[in-house]
Amino acid sequence: MARSLTTCSFCGVGCGLYLETAGNQVTGVYPSVSHPTNAGRICVRGWHVHEIASSPDRLKAPLLKKNGKFQEVTWEEALGFTATRLQEIRDQYGPDALAFLNSPRCSNEEAYLLQKLARAVIGTNNVHHGTGVYCNNSINVLIEMLGVPAATNSISELAHSEVIVIDGVDLARRVPTIGGAVLRAKLGGARLIVVGTRRHRLAESADLFLQIKPNTEALLYGAMAKVIEDRGLANLQFIKARCRNHETFLAQLHQYDLLEAAEGCGVAAELIEAAAITYARAKSAALLYSTSMEERTRDSIRAVVNLTLLTGNLGKRGAGIFPLSEQNNLQGVCDMGMLPDRLPGYQPVANGSARGALEAIWKTKLPENPGVGSRSVLANAQNKTKALWLCRYDPVSTASFADVASSLRQLDFIVVQHLFMTDSAQHATVVLPTTAFGEEQVSFTNTERRIQLAEQVIEPPAGLTPAWEQITRVARLLGADWSYQTASDVMEEIGEVVPFYSGAGYDNLSREYGRQWPCTKDRPLGTQFLLAEDNGEKPFQFVPVPKPSYASASRDFPLTLVFGNSLYYWNQNVLIRHSETLKREYRILSLDYPEGFVEINPDDAKELSIGDGGKIRVCADSGSAVSTARVTAEVRKGTVFVPYFERELEKQIRGASRDGGLLVPVRVEKEIA
Amino acid sequence: MKARILHRADVLKIVDLLRQQGYEVLAPFCGRGRDTCFEPVTDQNRDQIQIHLPNPYYPPKRFVFPHIERLMKFERDNGAIRIEPVYEEGKRAIFGIRSCDVAGIYHLDRFYLGRDFRDIYYENHRKNLFLVNMVCTDVERDINDECFCVCADTGPAAHDHFDLQLMDMGEEFMAVAGTPAGEALFADPIFRKGTDAHIAKRHTILDDVRKRFKTTTSWFSATVRYVSQGDILEKTWEEIGNRCLECGGCTYVCPACTCFTVSDRQVGPNEFERVRIWDACALSGFTRMAGGFNPRKAVHDRRNRRFFRKLAHYFIQRELSMACVGCGRCAAVCHGDIGMPSVVEMIRRATAEMDKNEPVSH
Repeated sequence: MARSLTTCSFCGVGCGLYLETAGNQVTGVYPSVSHPTNAGRICVRGWHVHEIASSPDRLKAPLLKKNGKFQEVTWEEALGFTATRLQEIRDQYGPDALAFLNSPRCSNEEAYLLQKLARAVIGTNNVHHGTGVYCNNSINVLIEMLGVPAATNSISELAHSEVIVIDGVDLARRVPTIGGAVLRAKLGGARLIVVGTRRHRLAESADLFLQIKPNTEALLYGAMAKVIEDRGLANLQFIKARCRNHETFLAQLHQYDLLEAAEGCGVAAELIEAAAITYARAKSAALLYSTSMEERTRDSIRAVVNLTLLTGNLGKRGAGIFPLSEQNNLQGVCDMGMLPDRLPGYQPVANGSARGALEAIWKTKLPENPGVGSRSVLANAQNKTKALWLCRYDPVSTASFADVASSLRQLDFIVVQHLFMTDSAQHATVVLPTTAFGEEQVSFTNTERRIQLAEQVIEPPAGLTPAWEQITRVARLLGADWSYQTASDVMEEIGEVVPFYSGAGYDNLSREYGRQWPCTKDRPLGTQFLLAEDNGEKPFQFVPVPKPSYASASRDFPLTLVFGNSLYYWNQNVLIRHSETLKREYRILSLDYPEGFVEINPDDAKELSIGDGGKIRVCADSGSAVSTARVTAEVRKGTVFVPYFERELEKQIRGASRDGGLLVPVRVEKEIA
Repeated sequence: MKARILHRADVLKIVDLLRQQGYEVLAPFCGRGRDTCFEPVTDQNRDQIQIHLPNPYYPPKRFVFPHIERLMKFERDNGAIRIEPVYEEGKRAIFGIRSCDVAGIYHLDRFYLGRDFRDIYYENHRKNLFLVNMVCTDVERDINDECFCVCADTGPAAHDHFDLQLMDMGEEFMAVAGTPAGEALFADPIFRKGTDAHIAKRHTILDDVRKRFKTTTSWFSATVRYVSQGDILEKTWEEIGNRCLECGGCTYVCPACTCFTVSDRQVGPNEFERVRIWDACALSGFTRMAGGFNPRKAVHDRRNRRFFRKLAHYFIQRELSMACVGCGRCAAVCHGDIGMPSVVEMIRRATAEMDKNEPVSH
């Protein structure tokens, strides 16, 4: 039976697909041809979602750690104990000793209720999602400059873009359906500009490939903006009508020089010039970058938005900025307020009247001070956090920014909601098994603001309940009078709290292919692209970016080591490990390089007489480490790439200074055993 | 092959007949938008069966070669291990399977049953399968831009390998029996003998339908030669590989693709199961060997392999059937537009390179 259209729960594209069932099992999957986002296509992960759903090592009952060992207990005992401990710790240490972190793959309903539990019931703003560390800059910059922290246009519009710029993100590996949309746009006549350090699959199809030195985006875009201004290609009409601060921006632009930028970025000046002119001349140009797990500085994102404003690529079909969310509900969990400094709908916690409005709906006083984010909580340097709630989040496996395992060992109480006994769950006091994809009806919001329903197609294993329901029960045990019976009930309340979700009730969402927000009572069909209305105001602002300078390579440390975060993200993801095929495909690198690896360019390798699989020593000023070389043409000459899961290596290279940037000057030597 | 005529209004009675005979009947239904699928027929949905609709995307090969299926279970029992095969019996009929998909099932028959090793799981699904082929006659609804069955010579009306074939001729349908089992249905009074005029009408309809397809001067046969002889430049495969996003979709939707993997998993404290799951030569790990050697590590090598399997003489001779049925699903499912039609075109264009090596001299 495959009548219910559902949405894939892996990445931020949210492809439409159907799940085939037999008995009470998911036995197959196939794409929806009609879905406007993926139009009949899914990626290898989607094609194996049925394998994961039928995986037999699910947790079947709640677990409580007694005397260091997990024991199966009843739901009453597990939830009761959880409520009691949360209350005790709050009474003893204050509400801010508790933190609530979730995964960017959590549903809207469970994200909304988790932050409501934290804020309205416990009294803390310590809420965050696991990718928060990486996407905060994007949210803040987009709100600062555009007023809205989301993709301004839709994926299907890429077919109408004259020019598409891919900034940094390896679409083919991370969000393949968007990679496909770009490829087909190019086949249809679009020009493709790829900016980035790595020569990924889509770069092979680029018309202009600007293989820049790592983290030099701000310099590149500044230089491009200067070319555009100097050539008179700026969209003055758009700027005059809708943008503020153009003059200040222009004044700063004088600092930039094309030839200097070419030197700094390591890319030919003609190429930068060609990219700038191509982008500026397009009737509509789209720019894509990733927000997930790729640490972009604020300035590098500001530079992107400045370029978009300069050329007026907003508010029309085929144009826009796409801050891509790589996990299926990163957009949604941010919309739902799993942010320590923002309420649902992005109003700042510090804004008194915004708090007041929410207090009126929730009928409770809310904490005034912004909370701390996942980075601080999981590092727990000052031991402030005593209790932690992890909803579907496995930071021991996936968080690279802290030694999570040792932080967890220090905590008084940890409750984990998940499908499997993850590495993080091993540290928990209470483990609450949840329903999986296909076993519950909930909603997710994809990277183009499309709020979609994931349908229930089978019954969950006996006793298992949705995460949002467990959060509700704990809240009730703590005295809150929450009365949500279905996920749809939760969405009704979300509609009251988040203005751009006000029309997104389940009836509406189930009619076609979800709805792109803003989806309000006046606009129940949703909004394909944003920022089109010109109501005489100037909602956008330029933010000048001072010309960055970069340390030049020294003779002792001639290469740049890049700690790459999201490229191999799915390797560590627990779901991937539960599919034979996906495990093979994503973890093949672990099979080929069982002792870990560091990626190096073939020319660099040749100069150092290093072969693929050979042992190398990577030396930095702060420390050195031995690893195995993986020689690949994807890596830029002069750079060395360390996957984020190489923790030991990172520790050894950084040495005492744990808090380094993403780039470290290094030297690579062949290691003689 | 014997033919009979029946009234349009009686067509779905064939479904009823089959159900009465104990078949689980799969028939095509409409879903959201233009999505369609084969679903089991029940009393509740019987009247919603569609005759003319886009060919269901999820290929009907899954009824003989499931997306995931249990092969056997292992149980630990007092130190001993009991192994039990899991065989699925039962009778299935697919009502409305298209001619291209019929050719696909035939190709799978050749692969799974036609050689030294007979796949017993496939055989169990196949032996009681009754195929009611629906000829594509509605140029708006049945046929889409990606279809190219005329190039693969599998449609619009299958010549063989079905039990019963139905063709919409307006107020009447023509039924053609392909097997004794199909002919046995003709005993029912809804079927009556036709006339030469009916046969003539059939030919006219088929003639007209062929015009719907994009240019049929396909380069398929030349591609078969070039692929078989290894005359395609590495550069061309690289160009194709650059557009591949390694999703496996082309393999999964293809009615004539057969790749699978086998996995053992624990399902209980003392129970394990062995499952067979669709796999794809498109994926990097498919040919990786223990020890790390991978003969097709590069993506363009895998693309090369796919089209060799699809088009080379060796395989056509081995299976007595080409591994492409012209259904067009690979063109629809591909992110980078390198389905069969596009690849044939890319190969054709690339052979202009060959002209440079022509032995023309003064």
